[in-house]
Amino acid sequence: MGLIPDFKKIATRSPWLYRINAGSCNGCDVEMAVTALIPRYDVERLGCQYCGSPKHADIVLISGPLTVRVKDAVLRLYEEIPEPKVTVAVGVCPISGGIFRESYAVLAPIDQYIPIDVNVPGCPPRPQAIIAGVAKAIEIWRERL
Amino acid sequence: MNFLTIFARNLKQGPQTEAFPFGPAFTPERLRGRIEFKAETCEGCRICERVCPANAIRFAKTPDGMTFDCWHNTCVFCGNCEFYCPTDAIHQTNDWNLAHANADKFEMVEHGLIANQTCVECGATALNTAPMVKNAKPPLSSEEYSEVRARCPKCRAKYLKNRKVPA
Repeated sequence: MGLIPDFKKIATRSPWLYRINAGSCNGCDVEMAVTALIPRYDVERLGCQYCGSPKHADIVLISGPLTVRVKDAVLRLYEEIPEPKVTVAVGVCPISGGIFRESYAVLAPIDQYIPIDVNVPGCPPRPQAIIAGVAKAIEIWRERL
Repeated sequence: MNFLTIFARNLKQGPQTEAFPFGPAFTPERLRGRIEFKAETCEGCRICERVCPANAIRFAKTPDGMTFDCWHNTCVFCGNCEFYCPTDAIHQTNDWNLAHANADKFEMVEHGLIANQTCVECGATALNTAPMVKNAKPPLSSEEYSEVRARCPKCRAKYLKNRKVPA
């Protein structure tokens, strides 16, 4: 069975997720909450758990186009997360700006300020797409450990 | 004994969790997902570029013809392009699995080319777009359609004007 050794690997080192809202409309945040809380999607099968403090985090999920107002707070939070960390951009806003692209109040794309590893486009992305992104992030995270 | 019936029902039903990363995911038939473009049926009216709220669609004139590009990383899946497209050249598939590594960010593009052609009547270079003959009466036969298609816009108008309409 190929899955069982994989499961063991995840169980030994489970990545904890941390959410950063960089000026999101809350659509992606709702989908991220759904991914974790609703038994139908259940991201905890991958060994992931949302944590409240950036100091415990391994995988960072960033939503929102990085508005000018939250930029300093987001960068400070990001610095607080210990290495190795994997960053996932959730939704089109952090990736390109989406419909807020080229606005004076928005600094998107976010990868000018923060190194991003995985992109999950969508407005908002489906919970399954977020799970697929997290699964990709876990692979990258295992390589970095 | 109500809890026993619930217990028995839950045993019979099994878990409600989707199998997704380890198995197939449930996808509704009409889910609004990734954009798909068919250059053969495009009229070249560029209405999709105008109605796109996120400026995800861009047409550009190149020596080979007109190119169509839709960047999935800024598309918000609103479906405006599909709604306004007169010939269903652009439509949304139910593909939602677009997660990718950041290195492939600028490769998430739907690309299409409307090639240039030489008009069979006047020899001018024009785009090989689908002709706008939706309202032609009587409807064009398939030979007439291909004849119209091989012409430039001016000769198309002439052809349609001079078309013999049976009484």
